[in-house]
Amino acid sequence: MTTNDPFPPAPQAADDAWLDDLLVAVGVAERAVYIDDAGFTARVVDALPSAVAAPAWRRPFVAALWGGAVIALVIAMPTFFVELLGTADALFSLQSFSLASVGAALVALLALTWGAAAYSLREN
Amino acid sequence: MAEPSVSDAQLIARALVTDDRHAFAELVKRHQSSVRACLRKLTAGNHALADDLAQETFILAWRNLASFRQEARFSTWLYRIATNSWLAHNRKRREELLGDRVDAVAEGEDETMPHSDDLHADHARGAALKIDLERAMGALSESERAAIVQCYHNDLTHEEAAYVLDCPIGTVKTHVLRGKQKLKAALAAYAR
Repeated sequence: MTTNDPFPPAPQAADDAWLDDLLVAVGVAERAVYIDDAGFTARVVDALPSAVAAPAWRRPFVAALWGGAVIALVIAMPTFFVELLGTADALFSLQSFSLASVGAALVALLALTWGAAAYSLREN
Repeated sequence: MAEPSVSDAQLIARALVTDDRHAFAELVKRHQSSVRACLRKLTAGNHALADDLAQETFILAWRNLASFRQEARFSTWLYRIATNSWLAHNRKRREELLGDRVDAVAEGEDETMPHSDDLHADHARGAALKIDLERAMGALSESERAAIVQCYHNDLTHEEAAYVLDCPIGTVKTHVLRGKQKLKAALAAYAR
């Protein structure tokens, strides 16, 4: 709508295009009015809920829980863990890992991680 | 209007990843005018209520920022939250009214609405039309008013309005059509 008059006179025609024109014109006129911030943003920011900070004891507590769980499993199934360690030892003693192959694997892992992070944070 | 150097998406990412309140404040500054204007329209010009609901809208946006999937523009997502806040406010108000004496309140509302004939004598035609349009909008059902505000005031497509109102596109079209029929009847004097 290009008219400067936000409330154009209704036409004599019997159709209801005048109502459509009126609603469009009022919409254009009202969108053109900028409502001054007048402290609104500051009030919103002040009212934002603060991020819930995790208590200081939470991290060591969780670590202790995991440690306790692992120790409990080892005590409950000692033969399983002995066999698991023996198998892992046998597997690694058969393989020869060069420093270059370990480095290449690390670089590939890092590239994959950064690529995934960049993709998920990309600008739409 | 010049494009802002930092996009909405970048500000949202900052607010999400580093809990950056300054980034969110910038988003509020950018969108406060349109959100408040939309709510002023929905609340039929009740500026104080509109601003309260706008504040609630931005706080809800902050809390739910992680759920914004960029399937719509950020402004459209804000309109959706704003409209839901307005509908929730109306529901709450209706429940409160049911607890009180509904008739007494309804009579009180009628007293605050001056009769259109009294206004026409003193106002220019454009001003009278605006007042009558506001009044006619106020007489529409919530769904019809919301649909007309989204499609005409916020200039959204039917598809975007359907996203904001969380209903099918056909329902939006029906609400707009019915709303316009009622507006046409209420403003018939201006069509002659």
